[in-house]
Amino acid sequence: MAKILMKGCEAVAEAAVRGGCRFFAGYPITPQNEIPEYLSRRLPEVGGHFVQGESEVASVNMVYGASTMGIRAMTSSSGPGISLKAEGISYLASCKLPALIVNVSRGGPGLGSIQPAQSYYLQATKALGHGGFRVMVFAPYSLQEAVDLTYEAFEYAERDRNPVFLLMDGCLGAIMELVELPEMKEPTDENTKKWNLSKKEGEKRPPRALTPIYPEVILEMENKLRGELYKKWEKEDVKVEEFMTEDAEYIVVAYGIAARVAKEAVLTLREQGCKIGMIRPITLYPFPKQSFHKLDYDKVKAIIDIELTIPAQMRDDIALEVMNRAPIFEYGRSGGNLLDDDGVYDAIMKVIKEVG
Amino acid sequence: MKQSILISGSGGQGVISAGILIAQSAADSGKYASFLPEYGPEQRGGSAKATVLTSDTEIISPLPKKCMYWLCMNEQSFKKFGSQLKEGGVLVYNSNRVVSPITRTDITAIPVPSDQLADQIGNPKAANIILIGALLAARKAIIDPEHFLHSLEEKFMSKSEEIREMNAKAFKIGAEIGSKYDE
Repeated sequence: MAKILMKGCEAVAEAAVRGGCRFFAGYPITPQNEIPEYLSRRLPEVGGHFVQGESEVASVNMVYGASTMGIRAMTSSSGPGISLKAEGISYLASCKLPALIVNVSRGGPGLGSIQPAQSYYLQATKALGHGGFRVMVFAPYSLQEAVDLTYEAFEYAERDRNPVFLLMDGCLGAIMELVELPEMKEPTDENTKKWNLSKKEGEKRPPRALTPIYPEVILEMENKLRGELYKKWEKEDVKVEEFMTEDAEYIVVAYGIAARVAKEAVLTLREQGCKIGMIRPITLYPFPKQSFHKLDYDKVKAIIDIELTIPAQMRDDIALEVMNRAPIFEYGRSGGNLLDDDGVYDAIMKVIKEVG
Repeated sequence: MKQSILISGSGGQGVISAGILIAQSAADSGKYASFLPEYGPEQRGGSAKATVLTSDTEIISPLPKKCMYWLCMNEQSFKKFGSQLKEGGVLVYNSNRVVSPITRTDITAIPVPSDQLADQIGNPKAANIILIGALLAARKAIIDPEHFLHSLEEKFMSKSEEIREMNAKAFKIGAEIGSKYDE
């Protein structure tokens, strides 16, 4: 299939439709408005439904409702809206319902700024809502990767009976690049029987209606299963790009748009003879721990965490794996300022000079 | 070869559409392309800025600090983004609105009275296309001007023939000015 020039938000929306999404509910916020705008037109064409809810809270609960009917459902927002959806996301996790949640991030905290930022790492990976649940967090760095991850998101969500989170920043939402769109998938409700409450002819309902309140014994059992699921993700579902890390003395760690800029700097520095590489988490959760364990710390002189946010948020996760075997530095921009090639190059050079 | 183009002006002057046109045309001619609008809380009349990259190989970073080419449509953005044009770069500017003197001697500056020229052909909206015409004629390595004309035609296929002809005319008027600076 030919590659076409598409805007990030629209490419993700189209990939969701092609991945089987047939229900969307959301509430406007920059910089993700092109997702609902596109789906309001596109979903009816494929027999799906689009709702602009009266609020974020209503929207996420509509997604909850659609998911109980075995429909592939999604919502999208940006930080302030995701915070409002936190309760509903926790209930989705509690009731073991699949859904796709897209967060096109902007500056924070609070209303922050509408410009691109990577200010929601901690929220996405540690506590999307109350109760200690986790979700897989996909962080694409190109539109093709955003399309591919969105396309397969519902399979992960249904396999695990858990929401899947796509975290991209305002740059990726607004940028236009070439993408190749996958074929249209026709979802069946075959895998949804364990939770699908829609009763077909000759079928029984699942044994119980879904409830977010569990008796003690069941809740403990469910939470143990959750713990096992998260461990399984770490073994089987980590996605990461290890770029020129084998002989590297300096390791840049970056995800999403920051990784694009950082990779350019790595390539430039390699041309100049510098032994530098990059670890790029594609799943922010599960975090690619092994990529850090594999490093030869006799060689590695410094780790440089580059994020489009201040202070760096991924640093704690990196530190847990590096275990003081190399010093960790950070560089970022905030407040609507973007990273740029020269700025990132200079920041890395500064570390190299300092460490020697 | 990677080419970088900065486009700036005021909201409503066609900064975004100029960027998309260039990126689309590069993509049509088999190149990689990226178009990144920098958005803010502005509305019509606020400042608008976009970066277009084209390349024969995959584009890694879409965020260069400086660009090789700059289409500047108004005075306000001229003052704001002056440092973002590389040494040896080319500035194509709307001389009806950019009134500050061009003091940099390390660049090629191409003044184009694009508002006035667009008015003369009866389509004020085509001022951005006149500027694109000047740039592409001055630096054909970005995109072959013929390719661009073809993409322009395709883009406006749903519009009347009159509009398509007016666009082509706008491009050629700009190209005539730009060709004097062809290296």
